[in-house]
Amino acid sequence: MSNITYGRDFEVVQRLKPEPITPEEARAMENLDPTDFEIFNHKMNMIGLEGKETTQKLGASAGMRWGDVAFGIYTAQGDLAICATGIWFHAALGQIPVKYIVKHWTGDPSVGVKEGDSFFFNDPFYCGVHGADMGLAVPVFYKDKLICFTGAIVHSGENGATEPGGNPSTSRSRYDEGFLLPPLKIGEGYALKEDIMTMLTNFVRDPRTLVLDIKARLAACRIAQRRILDVVGKKGVDFFLGGLRKVMVETASAAKKKVMELPDGTFRHPVFMDTVGPESSLIKLNVEVEKKGDTLKLNFKDTSPMIPDRPMNTYFQGIIGLTMVYLCGWFFHNLPANNALLEVLEWEFPPDALVNASGDTPTANAPFPQVAVCQSMFHIGAKLTYNYDHLRAVAPWYHGFGFGVYGGFNQWGEPFADITGEMNATGAGARPDADGLDVAGSFFATMSDCSDVETTEADKPFVYLFRNFFQNHGPGKYRGGNGTGYGIVVHKVPWIGIGTLGYGSKFPASVGIFGGYAASTSSVQFLRGSNIKELQATNGEAIPSNMLELYTNKPLEGQRNMTQITTPVGPMMEGDAVFIAAGGGAGYGDVLERDPALVVEDLRLSLITQWQAKNVYRVVYDEKTLRVDEEATKELREAEKRERLTRGVPYEDFEKEWLGKRPSQDILKYYGAYPNPSKA
Amino acid sequence: MKIRITEALDLDLATEKWCCNRCGKELIPARENYKKGCLVRERMPMEVHNPLIENSPFSFAPDPEWCRIIEFYCPQCGLMIDNEYLPPGHPVTHDIELDIDGIKRRYGIDDAKAKTKDKTKKMGIM
Repeated sequence: MSNITYGRDFEVVQRLKPEPITPEEARAMENLDPTDFEIFNHKMNMIGLEGKETTQKLGASAGMRWGDVAFGIYTAQGDLAICATGIWFHAALGQIPVKYIVKHWTGDPSVGVKEGDSFFFNDPFYCGVHGADMGLAVPVFYKDKLICFTGAIVHSGENGATEPGGNPSTSRSRYDEGFLLPPLKIGEGYALKEDIMTMLTNFVRDPRTLVLDIKARLAACRIAQRRILDVVGKKGVDFFLGGLRKVMVETASAAKKKVMELPDGTFRHPVFMDTVGPESSLIKLNVEVEKKGDTLKLNFKDTSPMIPDRPMNTYFQGIIGLTMVYLCGWFFHNLPANNALLEVLEWEFPPDALVNASGDTPTANAPFPQVAVCQSMFHIGAKLTYNYDHLRAVAPWYHGFGFGVYGGFNQWGEPFADITGEMNATGAGARPDADGLDVAGSFFATMSDCSDVETTEADKPFVYLFRNFFQNHGPGKYRGGNGTGYGIVVHKVPWIGIGTLGYGSKFPASVGIFGGYAASTSSVQFLRGSNIKELQATNGEAIPSNMLELYTNKPLEGQRNMTQITTPVGPMMEGDAVFIAAGGGAGYGDVLERDPALVVEDLRLSLITQWQAKNVYRVVYDEKTLRVDEEATKELREAEKRERLTRGVPYEDFEKEWLGKRPSQDILKYYGAYPNPSKA
Repeated sequence: MKIRITEALDLDLATEKWCCNRCGKELIPARENYKKGCLVRERMPMEVHNPLIENSPFSFAPDPEWCRIIEFYCPQCGLMIDNEYLPPGHPVTHDIELDIDGIKRRYGIDDAKAKTKDKTKKMGIM
């Protein structure tokens, strides 16, 4: 070791924005022909896309196979200039581990950075999100000069934590969270080091998947390397270096221009979460964005404090990453996704806040507060952008996850440990001109899929009892999309371990905008000792075919346990079942402005319930023909508006009564001082 | 001159007032929280979210011990301008605090000019 003290590097994680332009890059940019640059830019993006597709097609984990993949081309200083992904937080954070490699290993004689090397990493302190996201990067040399890196980051899941699947809800410190590797050389001379691979596979429950995923990343990196060297061979090193840097310079310039056009002001949205590991408990993330000129400044004052022994904490990097998910997808949608976009962002994180984890604090469930902050960004973004371009002002997609984690031996006798893909089957938020799409995907993984049932059943010991729409959208003038409800039965193995992850069982995860309502809360049912196998041996008519039937007219027999979404992994025997809901998107606008024809059309398609049509949307219709009674509906809605004017009170009167209320102390265990944690 | 800030809210730059986008009702000065110019109603979540399971701590509807819905109505036409899901007693959010002077400068208007125009207009270029 020449220049490092052991332990985490707190300096490199601050370098999220692009490194200063080198004199070599500046000269090269000056000489770029605009047409050549456009061709270069397109070429690099195609190389990136090929890298993403290659990684996805070669890998084995659920995340990799269904598109939870980011592939990038990095500058020689480590900035992420080109990124092909729908996982935009990787586009904002992927540079950290590569900058770490540049900073620590290029000049270190015991490690070094040489042609043919490959580096692996998954410590969320550097990758920003959680230990299940694993990356691999390789340096690219041309005539002995380091000219760039290529890299792939993918959710591989299993990393040997105390629960399978990489997100242990019961972890008490980071030492419960499996291997968390800072960038580690795992290959040299174009070969993986088998001693390192043997060590890594010894850490996990599913070594086959880990190895295949690592090799998939490496193969994609090498293909991209070959393509890049082909370009450099034809156009020269200066052209390449200048081109990569120019992509970033133009990205930053365009981003600043877009932000400049928004109105100056301060925008706020607090998020309330109801889950702290295995406990239901209230916490608050307080998000404030000050927009001034070409800058957006984030502030998290009055966010709940860090929890020393529960995994709901997140490093600040992850919060920046998920903030960028909103910005990349819904505001900078027409700009390249790379870390130059961060030039518009400033931030201030209070010390010891839940969103600014430090020390040995566990962070395995960090994606939950991260996506919750992104929920705030949907709200704040809608209010920032409506006047600029009202079509940008959309309600939040579902934010509460809702997925299963599992591990054991499958029906072929092979070890497995992973997660269900249905978190990529949530409802989209409603839009200013249309309903949110049903089962749209995941807002943070827009190029990902939820797998198909048969593929999952082929190598996992499950039978899906059903998987289809669940009426869990947020109502509004335009409604949110519905998410998915699904039931999994353990099949053809004596037992496996299953748990579930997510939040929003007591307090809704995704709330509406401009008068739209929240999506439903979500819960999980574990059913043990069920009669499912017996019913399957009959004509099957008594088996529910969706969540609504399960909870209304076709209940199953057995020992039922309704719980919050997050449930630690525990044993489930053959024939036991778990029922999970991936949630719906939030609503947009006043429900009384929804076109009654859309309400009955939703009824016809079973996308809403009769109760919602009558009691929320206030539509009068014939239950048999679903014909709307326009006059009666108009009268009912006018009556509802009169009711509002009668029941609504002036703000001062409301506050006098409201501010005297308070939740019970037993749900405020982790909240901090109520209502404003900084007042403690 | 009015500019539209949300689905339900206009900002009148001449009078510096928040206005209902549907009926034009002036709510409150624009440097205040527009919610203070609304009628406010606390609702129990089950009025909007029907519990799918009875007598269960987890019912697919928000738990009223944890969460209430606060609705903000235009005092003239009854439009729901916004709502918030809040734990009992949590202060209402001042969610939009615009730089009114900056917006007026951006339009290049002074108070006299602003009073001569009265149309809803977009500020951006898209």
